[in-house]
Amino acid sequence: MSVWKINTAPGRNMTWFLSWFLFASGITLYVYTAHKRHVENPDDKVVPTLRQLTGGFYNAAFKPEADDEAGAGLWQRVRGSMLWHDTMASGRRFLISFALLFPAAVLGLHIGVFPYVGAFFMRFILFFDKIIALSVLPILFIAFGIDELSKIMLIVIGVTPTIILDACNLSKGVPKEQIVKGFTLGAGNFDIAYLVMLKQIFPRILNSIRINLKSVALFLFAGEMIASDDGLAYRIALLRRHMGMDTIIPYVLWVALLLFLVDLTMRFLNRRLHPWFREI
Amino acid sequence: MRIAVVLSLALILCGRAPAADKPSFTVGWSIYVGWNPYHYMDKSGILKKWAEKYGVTIKVQRFDYAPSLEAFVAKSIDACTMTNMEALDMPAAAGVDTTAVILGDYSNGNDAVLVRNGLTFDKLAGKKVMLVQKTVSEYLFERGMTMNGAKDQIKRVRLVNTSDSDIAPAFLNNPDEEAVVTWKPLVSQIRKGKGITTIFSSAQIPGEILDLLVIRTDVLHRPGGQNFAKAVTGAWYEVMSQLSGTGPAKDKALRGTAEASEDTPDSIKEQLTTTHLFYTPQSSMQFLTSAELKQKMDLVRQFCFTHGLLGEGTSGADEVAVLYPDGAVQGKKDRVRLRFDTSYTQLAQEGKL
Repeated sequence: MSVWKINTAPGRNMTWFLSWFLFASGITLYVYTAHKRHVENPDDKVVPTLRQLTGGFYNAAFKPEADDEAGAGLWQRVRGSMLWHDTMASGRRFLISFALLFPAAVLGLHIGVFPYVGAFFMRFILFFDKIIALSVLPILFIAFGIDELSKIMLIVIGVTPTIILDACNLSKGVPKEQIVKGFTLGAGNFDIAYLVMLKQIFPRILNSIRINLKSVALFLFAGEMIASDDGLAYRIALLRRHMGMDTIIPYVLWVALLLFLVDLTMRFLNRRLHPWFREI
Repeated sequence: MRIAVVLSLALILCGRAPAADKPSFTVGWSIYVGWNPYHYMDKSGILKKWAEKYGVTIKVQRFDYAPSLEAFVAKSIDACTMTNMEALDMPAAAGVDTTAVILGDYSNGNDAVLVRNGLTFDKLAGKKVMLVQKTVSEYLFERGMTMNGAKDQIKRVRLVNTSDSDIAPAFLNNPDEEAVVTWKPLVSQIRKGKGITTIFSSAQIPGEILDLLVIRTDVLHRPGGQNFAKAVTGAWYEVMSQLSGTGPAKDKALRGTAEASEDTPDSIKEQLTTTHLFYTPQSSMQFLTSAELKQKMDLVRQFCFTHGLLGEGTSGADEVAVLYPDGAVQGKKDRVRLRFDTSYTQLAQEGKL
């Protein structure tokens, strides 16, 4: 057996087989469980069959919410559907919070580079980072209402301290010699900060944001489940109320796919923007 | 070493042996004034006494409401407290045959619609209402709209699904939010806010929001299942007689009921004024065998159906049928999923438990 040999890699077919094995067994186990439960109880809603799942997905993605659009074309039906509507609502919140992570990274850079800025912010952010955002929800509601702003602030409070601290650490990791060299070559303070330091750590910052995407999604879901009238997590919270697993499972997979695509895009962009960076 | 192993094995075996032949059952409950007595019943030893009488072991476990329903549907617990509406749209609609064994109370003002600025039902169109959607709160809200002649405007109200754990601070601290639907003790808390009035409550729809103890029908057919139902029913009415009585027994029961939700006995007393508890098996029997029950259940099941709570593919409310104590079936006879069973309450009434 070559399983425990560091220098032996599986062949192409073997890799294909090994990498799909867990997927295949997971799906098989699911189908088996669904079948067994439906034989016992034809009305079972906890583990829907594949047909119910596709039905649930079809209804969510291709059936307009308002009945009067029923006869419209495919594109219009998708645009009028529950899934589209929810994806747009959650997507908007996600993108706004995502955009807010970039200023956070820049702040982190300043904290790392300029000792005065560091003295001002560092201690506070270290403290702020340890606050569990979900536990101060009532305060968020008082300060920001229960609409969009409180949801975005929940994400910001939950995720930005990590990004700030990470950007700060990354900028501290740039060798001192480069800064000295920059000064001797006649660069100004901001030249050093933006052209020497930010430029080198930017791919790592992108990476750090990419890794924190899941936290963003997590806080977004928490916010939507607590108070909202649209969004992907809002729908899941409602469907849970009557065990609508036939729609919940497609929704969960859809969210996973979206996150995967955002992650993939960021990786691709990072490689395109920084071809010299080889750490991903 | 070997002796130790043998000894501990022997201990385990001895410890288990007597329990092994006693069937064991689990009751799930969640915080609500009408269900808190299950906590007291367990802690005071009343339940244990009844369980021993019937030769069963009964465990009592607290849940949050939604997870308790999920645990019941997933068959990880045998009995659970829930309202008539959830009994219909969670287990019954998911094909889990369910029997309502104890009718504990109906909400007689515990659930309420509260507003700011003297708003009324006819002015709610286009406004936001905070509530936990697809629950009795939404049911209460729609009944209120209907009874106040604003039925055609229901669709124009913007419902904001808000978790019950945050609904009180979220409403109280945002003066822009004008209406909220929730239940006690949150209602009492919100009502203390400035300029907030109650425009509708479950006292105006008595007997529509029923609080039950349900047991899976297949559990009742398991060895010891009947005895389990008898033991719980016996213990329940013993607690009820304490709560409705006087003297130190009543105080103790009130304290135990309050302790269940870390509340004060005074607050429990206040909540009991808006809870129509069926203190005696007689009163419970009377409601369960009345024509009223069928009318109220019909309103509830039609609501469940029109809100898609009975499942996507369901063609009508008749698909999830209800069986009443007199043998009448509401819905298709071959699709009975929820049963109101008075046999245990009747035994209690006749003093045969």
